[in-house]
Amino acid sequence: MKFTVYRYNPETGHEPRMQDFEIEVERGMMLRDGLIAIQDEDESFAFRHSCGEGVCGSDGVNVNGSNRLACITPLSELREPVVVRPFPGRPVIRDLVVDMSQFYKQYKQVDPWLVRREPMPEQEILQSPQERDRLDGLYECIMCGCCSTACPSFWWNPEKFYGPQALLTAARFIADSRDQTTAQRMDALDDPFKLFRCHTIMNCVDACPKNLNPTKAIGFIKAQMLKSSI
Amino acid sequence: MALQKPPVFLNLLQIRLPIAGIMSIIHRASGMLMVLLIPLSIYLLDLSLTDEQGFTAVGSLLHGTVGSLILLLLLWVLLHHLYSGIRYLLIDVEIGVDRPAYRYTAWAVTLLAPFSALLLLGIL
Repeated sequence: MKFTVYRYNPETGHEPRMQDFEIEVERGMMLRDGLIAIQDEDESFAFRHSCGEGVCGSDGVNVNGSNRLACITPLSELREPVVVRPFPGRPVIRDLVVDMSQFYKQYKQVDPWLVRREPMPEQEILQSPQERDRLDGLYECIMCGCCSTACPSFWWNPEKFYGPQALLTAARFIADSRDQTTAQRMDALDDPFKLFRCHTIMNCVDACPKNLNPTKAIGFIKAQMLKSSI
Repeated sequence: MALQKPPVFLNLLQIRLPIAGIMSIIHRASGMLMVLLIPLSIYLLDLSLTDEQGFTAVGSLLHGTVGSLILLLLLWVLLHHLYSGIRYLLIDVEIGVDRPAYRYTAWAVTLLAPFSALLLLGIL
């Protein structure tokens, strides 16, 4: 199977280039296996990967133009030549490895933890099954970055717009019955860029390998803001 | 050497935009085009209202090949902007925000706009 991969080595000082590889594939191989085979041929080729089963979120790449997790993308689904590039819009460190600092910075901005104003109770804080259900579709995010790096609003304003991943996380804590800073969380997002730079393009929904829906989560935050303002 | 600015991959021709993304770009472009075409539309309206001669001049211009194409373009961008605007309003109230509905509606808007423009112009 023919592969064309993005190569960049900061030590050489050369511009990024595309390099072709011919890899022998077997039934059931995932894109990650293909990248490992390329690495066997050329050990200077760099990409991130770890769990190999779509849980750790390390091996997000742009393959044939779409952001996907290499470990759960079957090679049989891809058209030849398989063109693999790093995530769009992020500074490239080497080959497919990009600098995700800005992405993590935006995640941190939304205070991704539960905040209690009252003293902590002796036992766990109970939730009704209905309250727990509200977290479904929000908590499963593995932070691979496929969504935010597929979002045009994030491409043009990565410093000011939080991006779909961070906003999905913000919705997860706004929806949590145990969190006691819902109003503050929403106040913090009330800004022309942080939340409202989302233009409902929905590339994020297309890109998410866990089938989550950041657009719906953003809509949920907007609806909560509207409800609390009237 | 190591201090040089890292490269960024952001070649829009090499990134595959999903249909909803394509529809969104046309939505933006159509809005811009409509604004840019306002002076031309007003000029033609004004000319057609001055006297009988002006009216027939505009009429024959719009029935010519170039005129028809401009009219088709105007109608297409107007309808695309209208349909996609309605789609966005529906998504705002959680209608068609789920998979795969948003894909179908994006296809519907993108195909229906030129089709209904042709229909309205009586070409189809």
